[in-house]
Amino acid sequence: MTHQMHAYHMVNPSPWPLTGALSALLMTSGLIMWFHFNSLMLLILGLATNTLTMYQWWRDIIREGTFQGHHTPIVQKGLRYGMILFIISEVFFFAGFFWAFYHSSLAPTPELGGCWPPTGIYPLNPMEVPLLNTSVLLASGVSITWAHHSLLEGNRKQMLQALSITIMLGIYFTLLQMSEYFETSFTISDSVYGSTFFMATGFHGLHVIIGSTFLTICFFRQLKFHFTSNHHFGFEAAAWYWHFVDVVWLFLYVSIYWWGS
Amino acid sequence: MASPAAFRVSRLLAQSHPRLRRPMSSGAHGEEGSARMWKALTYFVALPGVGVSMLNVFLKSHHGEHERPEFIAFPHLRIRTKPFPWRDGNHTLFHNPHVNPLPTGYEDE
Repeated sequence: MTHQMHAYHMVNPSPWPLTGALSALLMTSGLIMWFHFNSLMLLILGLATNTLTMYQWWRDIIREGTFQGHHTPIVQKGLRYGMILFIISEVFFFAGFFWAFYHSSLAPTPELGGCWPPTGIYPLNPMEVPLLNTSVLLASGVSITWAHHSLLEGNRKQMLQALSITIMLGIYFTLLQMSEYFETSFTISDSVYGSTFFMATGFHGLHVIIGSTFLTICFFRQLKFHFTSNHHFGFEAAAWYWHFVDVVWLFLYVSIYWWGS
Repeated sequence: MASPAAFRVSRLLAQSHPRLRRPMSSGAHGEEGSARMWKALTYFVALPGVGVSMLNVFLKSHHGEHERPEFIAFPHLRIRTKPFPWRDGNHTLFHNPHVNPLPTGYEDE
């Protein structure tokens, strides 16, 4: 039986990068078909193949790491670099929306009434639900840290308890934001205020949903004993992502909800 | 003459002080008991903070009394350069007829 003479992971050929790329093509062309030709078929196909790709790709990573032992310390180091670089790219993604917001709000045009918020826009009170949302995400940052320390100390039950509190807080945030979206007197079509508000908070909300999903997967993996007290990178990656989502909200809150009102 | 002294020094170095030995493998970095601290922070600071914020929202909410702003057809609001791809193309995704007027005014007036 041949053995590799190094600690790296030579991944077996996989179809998921191809299906992922194809799903991206289907989603983009699907959006065009929906916007311009009133047809949802291509977009639905794209979303389905995208979901299937994600499920199978990450399932395979769990098989390779947790069950087959390919995630040696140096492989894990590479995964850490990868997650950090991905989160940095997301920071730049949000930087664009903050740029747009500050560009429009620091020098409001005459078409808006020369003021910010623009004439006719009644912003949300930052001291009501937005403040609650802030406390919810900050609390979830505390509970996820509790979950991590419980995991490090080998306390299985507490880790599950802390992680479930974190996930429930994430869901609560999402529900609060959805209710706020229905209650605002302004919409996305209400000048550049509406555009910047809903693009920035909308993408943030999507990231909260993604983060909550990632945490839920960690919850089920912990139930199935995938994590050990000193090897649980999947959980750490989810925690990093969750803290990132929290920090983006803090910037949103201070910039758009508070200063921008 | 150097050799017995060297032997004693090397024996000292070979012993590891029992109290300094921490039974943690590489990767683990928490000190014992820190989970207890974060649990306390969660239950005594973070979650009560959420509770206080919830109370604040409840006390400040005035449901029912909605003096909604009068409708003025500002050109920079209710922009419709292209119809929305859903329903009749004239309603935003989270449209609330009570607080969101259409370009032509409130729907329920």
